[in-house]
Amino acid sequence: MHLTNSLELFPEFAVTQLLFRDVKNCAELRKMAMEGKIAGALINPAMVLDPFQTLLAANKAVHVQKVGKMKTRSLYSEIIFSLSPTNNISEAFKRFGISDNDHAVLIVLVHNKEEEYNKDDVQSKVDGQQIPADQMSSLSDFAKIKKLYKVSSQEEKCGSVLDAVICRMAAKDVV
Amino acid sequence: MAEADGVSVRSVLPCLREAELIKQGAEARVYRVRFLGRSAIVKERFPKRYRHPALDEKLTRRRVAQEVRSILRCRKAGIAAPVVYFVDLSSNCIFLEEITESITTREHIAAARASGRSVESLHDLAENMGRILAKMHDEDVIHGDLTTSNMLLKTESSGELTLMLIDFGLSFVSALPEDKGVDLYVLEKAFLSTHPNTETLFQKLLHSYTGASKKAPAVIKKLDEVRLRGRKRSMVG
Ligand SMILES: Nc1ncnc2c1ncn2[C@@H]1O[C@H](COP(=O)(O)OP(=O)(O)OP(=O)(O)O)[C@@H](O)[C@H]1O
Ligand SMILES: [Mg+2]
Repeated sequence: MHLTNSLELFPEFAVTQLLFRDVKNCAELRKMAMEGKIAGALINPAMVLDPFQTLLAANKAVHVQKVGKMKTRSLYSEIIFSLSPTNNISEAFKRFGISDNDHAVLIVLVHNKEEEYNKDDVQSKVDGQQIPADQMSSLSDFAKIKKLYKVSSQEEKCGSVLDAVICRMAAKDVV
Repeated sequence: MAEADGVSVRSVLPCLREAELIKQGAEARVYRVRFLGRSAIVKERFPKRYRHPALDEKLTRRRVAQEVRSILRCRKAGIAAPVVYFVDLSSNCIFLEEITESITTREHIAAARASGRSVESLHDLAENMGRILAKMHDEDVIHGDLTTSNMLLKTESSGELTLMLIDFGLSFVSALPEDKGVDLYVLEKAFLSTHPNTETLFQKLLHSYTGASKKAPAVIKKLDEVRLRGRKRSMVG
């Protein structure tokens, strides 16, 4: 169900992604995350096209934490911020975080490679149905993503929308 | 060359120490790696010892930033260039999509010539190069290092060939015909010295460049001026 990947640049860490739909307690989950009771990033899966997109965001978050360049308060908020094409933090949370009336959530965890992620800690808190994380695109809102990342039809001539999204995430600090 | 600079050939990133080095240049090392489940190319710009450290860091960083910006600018305009996965400004590394099933245009042309194929068989390629460069210049991207090594030819699953631009480290944004003319002049020099007896091929390239952009006449005029200057200088020097 879940997807776990290692980070070549940070071999001590691994990233695990869990995807849920028909979630009934997004408000409660959001509150728990704000209080630090969930050690993970709660992401709106409508804004994600592929697990690679979130994996890149997690890699970037660990990187900025390592080099002391975080722009937000925690590793998990940094993952959400890394997804955003702009440097506006509150905008990033609004678009890529979850809202109280959402019905789906993608949870991204960064954990020690040697240990499995704490399953019970996360799964027991979500009142919803877990689905395979690689089915992420079934929940994506394609039109919204294209609009937010400003992907033109011209750009789609030389690559996918995912490619366009990834380039903007990577280039954010240099443009 | 890095050794001559007294710079360690070992990368600052531990994951690159075991990686396959595919090119050691004067300013950058290029590696092939696995990155988050994909095959990727890492371009690492290393310090040059003969430059003042603070200046060096600034220049290096600017090149990394320019490379990423120009790739994005090209892609937004529909000009094929590798996807940027990740930029590490603390080690001046860019992680790029690896263009698989590809060879450099240089290798392609050299192979065609070596196998005795006619120059005419390469006309379509030259025309394609001209069109893509015209499009790039219409976006005001000046590549800064146009050579046939910095254009990759990818064989798509359909069998079609896609021309992709790479190596934007010396690129910048300018609308001046002079800058575009110099860009083409650099390519002409590199092209004709790498591929002898291909003058007609380069003519084809310029012809399609001219047909593909409204701004081309002013650029070609500058190209002619730059050529003349180049000749005068070589007569004096
Ligand atoms: N994304 C890529 N996919 C596949 N091969 C690549 C890619 N990027 C570079 N290469 C290969 O590596 C070679 C060197 O790369 P590149 O031209 O970017 O570096 P460079 O010439 O050392 O840079 P610079 O001229 O800025 O010092 C290319 O000619 C090509 O063969
Ligand atoms: Mg090169």
